[in-house]
Amino acid sequence: MAGEPILELVDLSHYFIHNGQADSVLRHLGLTVGRGELVCLIGRSGSGKSTLLNIVAGFLKPSQGQCLLDGRAVGRPGPDRAMVFQEDALFPWLTVRENVAFGLGGDGWPRERRQREVERLLALVGLAGYGDHLPHALSGGMKQRVALARVLIRSPRLLLMDEPFAALDAQTREEMQELLLGLSYRRQSILFVTHDVGEAVALADRVLLLDRASGAIGAEWAIDLARSRDRNGEGFQRLCARIHRRLRREPADAGPSDVRP
Amino acid sequence: MAIKDLALAVLPLLAVVAAWCAASVFDLVPGYLLPSPAAVFDAGWRYVWGPAGQGPYAGRFAGDLAASLSRVLLGFSLAVVVGIPLGICSGRLATVDRLAAGMVGGLRAVPGICWLPLALIWFGIGLKTTVFLVALAAFFPIYQNALTGARMAPPIYFQAGAMLGVSGARSVFAILLPLAMPNIVTGLRLGMGISWAYLVLGELTGVPDGLGAAIMDARMAGQTDLILAGIVLIALIGRGCDCLLVLLVRCLCKSARRQG
Repeated sequence: MAGEPILELVDLSHYFIHNGQADSVLRHLGLTVGRGELVCLIGRSGSGKSTLLNIVAGFLKPSQGQCLLDGRAVGRPGPDRAMVFQEDALFPWLTVRENVAFGLGGDGWPRERRQREVERLLALVGLAGYGDHLPHALSGGMKQRVALARVLIRSPRLLLMDEPFAALDAQTREEMQELLLGLSYRRQSILFVTHDVGEAVALADRVLLLDRASGAIGAEWAIDLARSRDRNGEGFQRLCARIHRRLRREPADAGPSDVRP
Repeated sequence: MAIKDLALAVLPLLAVVAAWCAASVFDLVPGYLLPSPAAVFDAGWRYVWGPAGQGPYAGRFAGDLAASLSRVLLGFSLAVVVGIPLGICSGRLATVDRLAAGMVGGLRAVPGICWLPLALIWFGIGLKTTVFLVALAAFFPIYQNALTGARMAPPIYFQAGAMLGVSGARSVFAILLPLAMPNIVTGLRLGMGISWAYLVLGELTGVPDGLGAAIMDARMAGQTDLILAGIVLIALIGRGCDCLLVLLVRCLCKSARRQG
């Protein structure tokens, strides 16, 4: 992929300690995300996709190896690598507007500029006019839009997404994918975790397979289909079939599970 | 619909009052055991509004109310000041929890009334004993609910806060307290309710003023009507305090105002 890398994982290993035994999830994994690139990471459950994302976000410290953002080792979680979670993690006592403004915190922004910024983000995710709603009054898709606006307001260097649309209905999921592609056109760098091959092929510049057996990237596909991809097109279907075949070669559920210590 | 709900709520109350009226009209129960509703209302009215000197209790109410309220508020505030921080810390910090859990559990096993003789020796009759009893009784529900609220706070909100640049001490006020707020409010309301119970207990010990003292005095004087009037007044004031408490917390904390 063109452009210098924004994220580099170098020789990354991670293991959880279970009853005194080390359960390794990632082994000597290497991965890069280029500036402005949308990379989808797929893999069967238990392959360590979420672990990898948690390491990049700074929620987990890798047992070994390096995680570099713009060439610097990542430390504690911060707004430069913001995450959109699968589940709803909006603050339930804050309105949509207050949730979006949360990340601006006490940064001493002038009030007017803050408000303008919040309204701009709400419009960007298609929620202008919903600023005064509370999260529980929103549908699942709208909640994920707010979650997106909440992290985008800090202009993250890299957007991390952990199966963010998995809980949405098919129609809403496609709308959200369109929204995400819009961000991608604006050169937002995105690392997107999913187990839905169709979603990965529809969105990604590159699809990476996290291989459970080896604990590293097992395969990689550059998606050179034209944008606004036709999901029923022959090329699209053929690529999906190929990735599916590769996924099926993965050992069935037997290895380390998704259980966290 | 709302009218129907209201009617349903008031109906049992009306039934009790009707039975009470019938009991006194037909002389089923002697008046010194159960005075008529009119007599109770009259006694209550004179207690609250009557000019001083128009009877043994006339004009005492304002002073009694002030004394009782100040005891409740003082004891309740002490319980809040200790209970909420300790509960929140115990809910999040394993070391604090271990330090506090045994002590608090042991103290809780002691029925609150058992403290009365000791409190009388330590503090004598009056303000301090009552405040001590109220504070001790109100502490447990406030502490326990704050602890539960803090412990149940889902970690994902702290992750979300951390990646938005809010972590450490700031996250306590920005995330932890709002998340625990529904439990904290429950604890405060339970604590306020039990405060009134222990207030009356403390005031039955021979203090000169207070609502509890007034009904105890009325017993000495054989004025059953004033005892009943006092009970109704204490119930109304306790309910009023609960409403004010909820209103106050909602005014002060956004997180208590809106959680769906």
